[in-house]
Amino acid sequence: MRTSRRLAIAAVMAATAIGLAACSGSGGSSAIGTGSGTAATGQKVQGGTVTVAWPDGSAPNLIFPLPAATNTDGYDINFTQNLWPTLVSEGDGAQSAVDPQESLYSSLAYSNGDKTVTIKLKPWKWSDGTPITSRDFTFVYNLLKANVPNWIGYTQGLFPDDVKSVQTPNSSTVVLNLTRSYNPDFYTEDVLSEIPLLPQHAWDKESATGKVGNYDETTAGAKAVWNFLQKEGSDMPTFTTNPLWKVVDGPFTLASFSSDGDYTYVPNKNFSGTVPAVSQVVNEQFTSDTSELDALRSGGSLTVGQLPQNDIQQIGILKTEGYDVVNQAIPGVAGTLVNFYNAQTGPLVSQLYVRQAMEDLIDRPQIVSKVYGGYADPGNGPVPTTAFSQWASPVEKSGGPYPYDPAKAVSLLKAHGWKVTPGGTSTCQSPGTGATECGTGIAKGEALSFQLLYSAGSTTGDEMEAAIQSSEEQAGIKFGLKSEPFNTLSATVGQCTASSHPAATCGWQLVDYGYDPYDLYPAGNSIFNTDGVNNLGGYSSTEENTLINETEYGASSQAFSAYEDYTAEQLPWLWVPQPSTIEVYKSNLGGFAPLNPFSGGINPEDWYFTK
Amino acid sequence: MTSYLARRAAQAIVVVIGVMIVTFVIIHMIPGSAARAALGVHATSSRVAIFNTTYGLDKPLYVQFADYVVALFHGNFGISYTLQQPVSTLIAQRLPGDVLLLGVSTVLAVAIAIPMGIYQAVKRNRLSDQLLDGVSFTLYTMPDFFIAFLLIALFSVQLHIFPPEAPAAATLGGMLADPRGLVLPIATLTVSNLAGYSRYMRSAAIDVLAEDFLRTARAKGLPERLVLSRHVLRNSILPIVTLIGLTFPNIVAGAVIAETVFNYQGMGLLFFQAATSHDYPVLLGTTLIIGAATVVGNLAADVAYGILDPRIRHGN
Repeated sequence: MRTSRRLAIAAVMAATAIGLAACSGSGGSSAIGTGSGTAATGQKVQGGTVTVAWPDGSAPNLIFPLPAATNTDGYDINFTQNLWPTLVSEGDGAQSAVDPQESLYSSLAYSNGDKTVTIKLKPWKWSDGTPITSRDFTFVYNLLKANVPNWIGYTQGLFPDDVKSVQTPNSSTVVLNLTRSYNPDFYTEDVLSEIPLLPQHAWDKESATGKVGNYDETTAGAKAVWNFLQKEGSDMPTFTTNPLWKVVDGPFTLASFSSDGDYTYVPNKNFSGTVPAVSQVVNEQFTSDTSELDALRSGGSLTVGQLPQNDIQQIGILKTEGYDVVNQAIPGVAGTLVNFYNAQTGPLVSQLYVRQAMEDLIDRPQIVSKVYGGYADPGNGPVPTTAFSQWASPVEKSGGPYPYDPAKAVSLLKAHGWKVTPGGTSTCQSPGTGATECGTGIAKGEALSFQLLYSAGSTTGDEMEAAIQSSEEQAGIKFGLKSEPFNTLSATVGQCTASSHPAATCGWQLVDYGYDPYDLYPAGNSIFNTDGVNNLGGYSSTEENTLINETEYGASSQAFSAYEDYTAEQLPWLWVPQPSTIEVYKSNLGGFAPLNPFSGGINPEDWYFTK
Repeated sequence: MTSYLARRAAQAIVVVIGVMIVTFVIIHMIPGSAARAALGVHATSSRVAIFNTTYGLDKPLYVQFADYVVALFHGNFGISYTLQQPVSTLIAQRLPGDVLLLGVSTVLAVAIAIPMGIYQAVKRNRLSDQLLDGVSFTLYTMPDFFIAFLLIALFSVQLHIFPPEAPAAATLGGMLADPRGLVLPIATLTVSNLAGYSRYMRSAAIDVLAEDFLRTARAKGLPERLVLSRHVLRNSILPIVTLIGLTFPNIVAGAVIAETVFNYQGMGLLFFQAATSHDYPVLLGTTLIIGAATVVGNLAADVAYGILDPRIRHGN
C-alpha cells in the first residue's frame, strides 16, 4: 500500500536532496532558509508561468494514476496527483499532517472498534461538471480488488484486501467495513492517503469506442477496464488529446506533454477548491544536476529548481540571479542495513552487542556537521526528529540510545571475548555462547570485517561512508567500501529472510541505498517487522512485531513511543544521518515555502507571483 | 563496383546478426536481476514474478532470443523496462537530435581541420604552425565536459549570450527553431573533434608534400593553390575519410557527456541509463543501431577510398 507513494516521494527526494538543513536567517551569501523559507513579499498577482526543473530520470510515462506492478516510474504519481489527488492529502505546509483543505473528504469517522470507516465526501465536481460521488470511490475499489497484486501500491493484507465490504448509503458517503481494527492515524495517513478518486462516469469502459457502463462491478469487467486504462494511460502521444484524461478533479489539467517528458499544466477552471493563481506550470526535465545548475546560474526561465549539496557555494550567485533557497528535512528513515542471513557475516551482526559497537562508532553529529554542513537529520533512530518532531520520542530527540562512544564500543567487544585491534581487524578470542563469549556461529579467530555496499553518485555520500569506515577502525571493525549505481545495486540486493535464503540476491553484507520514505504516520510496518516487504536484512523479533502491530492496529497513544524506542535500541539497521533537500525558487514566487515534504515540496496549486 | 557493394552488404548483415547474438548473450550474463534493477530494492517476489512474466524473462534464454528475433523481423525492438515505451519510439525520438548536433559538429570540425592541417603542413615548424600545434594539443587534452563548462561559464553565465541548454524540443524541427540553443553544444563537440582531425590532416599532408609527384607538378608550373587543392588535399584526405567512417557510429551512439551537460535527451544517455538499469530491450536496440552504423560507416569509407584514389578503386 505504501509502496507507490514511497516510490514517488523517494524518487523526488533522492534526486533532489543531497542535502542541507536548517540554518535560520538569510544574512550571509550562503545562508539557507529554514523549512519555512522566506515568504515572498509584495502584492499577489494572478497569472504568470512557473517553470519547474525536474531531475534526471523523472519523466513520467503513465497518466493513469494507478500504475501496474511492473511500472517502475515513481514520478508518475508526482505527475498525476495534480490531476487526480488522493482522498487524503498528505502534508499541511511544512507540517506532517493531513491537509483538510486539499483532501477530498469533509469528514472521516472511525467506529465499531475502529473496524468501520465512514467517509463523507466534499460536494466537489469533476472538471466536466459531474459531481464527485461515492460511486467514484467504489470504482477505484473494484478496479483494485480485481487487479491486485498487479498494482504498484499493493501490500498484501492492506487495501483492498482488508476491506470486507463497501457501502454507499448515499452519493456522498462511503462506509468501509474492514476485516480488522486499525489505528485511525495509520489508516487515514498511510492507507487512505494512497487512494485517488477516479471518474467512473467517464472511465468505466472497456475500449475507446465502447460506452461507459458499470463494468467494474464484475471481476472480468474490472479487469477489462483496468487493462484498457493501463493501455490508454501509457500512450504518451495522446496524453493531452485522449478524452479520458480531460476529466480531472485536481487543481490542474494537462495542457501539453512532449515525448521527452516535459509537460505543462494549466489551472482546472472548474476546480472545486481554490483555482491556482499561476496561469501555467511548465515542468522541464534535466539530464543532470550540472545542466540544471547552469540553467539557474545563467538567469534563465527556471522558477523552481533543486540544488545538490555539493553546490552549496553557488547560493550566493543564485541569489544575485533573483533566487531564494530553502531546505527541507526528508520524511524518511536512513540507515545501513545489515544482512542477518549472510553466511559469513550474518552470525556477527546477529549479536546485538556487535551492532551496538558499530553504532557507538558512528559519529553522527560530526557527520551532520562536517559532511553535511549541519544540514541533515542526525538519524538517531527510526523516526527523523526534524521531519516528524511530533512523533519523535524524547530518547531520539536527545541523541538516541547510542551516542558516539568509541571507548564503549571497545569495551563491549572485549567483554564478549574479542581481541580488539584498533586500526587493524579485531578477532574472536573466546568462541561460544556464554555471556562473555563471541556468540552463536562465531568461530575463534573470526574477524570483524564487512563489505559495505552503497549507492554511488553523491560526493557527500562517499564522504559519509568514508567517515564511518574510518571511525569503525577505532575498534578494529573493518568496513570495505564498494559503491554502485542505484539500479546496479538494486539488481544484486534483495530481501534475505529465513524463507528466501539462500538466494542470489542475498550475498550482500551491509548496504546503504539511501533511505525509506515514510507516509504521514511514520510506522515501521513493512520495514522492521519480520514479514515486512522492505525488511531486506531479515531482522526478526517477536517483540518488535508486537510493538509494530500495536502502532497500526492498537488504540494506545503510547504505542508509538514504545515501538520507536525499542527499535532505536535494537538496531535492526545501523542509524545514520539523513541529508535534507535544497530547493531554489524565484524570490517573487509566493506560496512556495513552507515546503510540503510529502509532495517533494512541489505544490504549484499554492504558488503565485508577487509584484 | 556493384558486386563489391553487394558482397559488402551481405557481410554487413552477417556482422549485424553476429552483434545481435553476442550482445544478447552478454547482456543476459550480467550479474543481477533485470526485474530487481527495474523495480528497486523493495521488489517483492510477486512483483518480480509479474515483471518476469510480462517481459518473458521467465522463459529459457534460447526462447527469449527466438522471440526477440521474431519481434525484430516485425519491426518490434521491444518495450523499455524502465521507460515503458517501445524501444523503436525511444530511438526515433532521440536519434535525430544526436545526428543534428554530432553531425553538424563533425562536418564543422572536418571543414576547419582540413585547411588547418594543410596550412600547418605547408608552414611546418614555423611560428604559425607551432602556435596552431599548441592550440591543437591544448584542445586535444581537454575533456569534453571541461570545454563545455568553459563555454557555459563565459557565454551563458557571464555574458548571457547563449543558453546553457540545447533546445528542449523533442523534434528536429523544434530544435532547429531555437538555433541559439544549438551553438554551445555544437561548439563544444566541434572543438573537441577538431584537434584530432587537424593532427591527422597535418601529418598526412606533410607526407604528401614530400612526394615526387608534387615536385613534378610544381616543375610543370602549376600554381601553388592548385598544387594544394588538387594534389595535396586529395592525397592527404584518405586518413580523414577513415576517421569519418569510424565517427559515424559515434554520431548514432550519441555523446553522453554533452547530453548530460547541455541537457538534451540523446542516444548516449539512453544507452547509459539502460546499461545501469539492466534495460535489456533498450541495450539491444541501441547496440544494434550502433552496430549497423559501424558497418555502414566502414562501408562508406571504403567506397570513398575508391572514389578519391583510383588506384584502389573497387572492381578495377
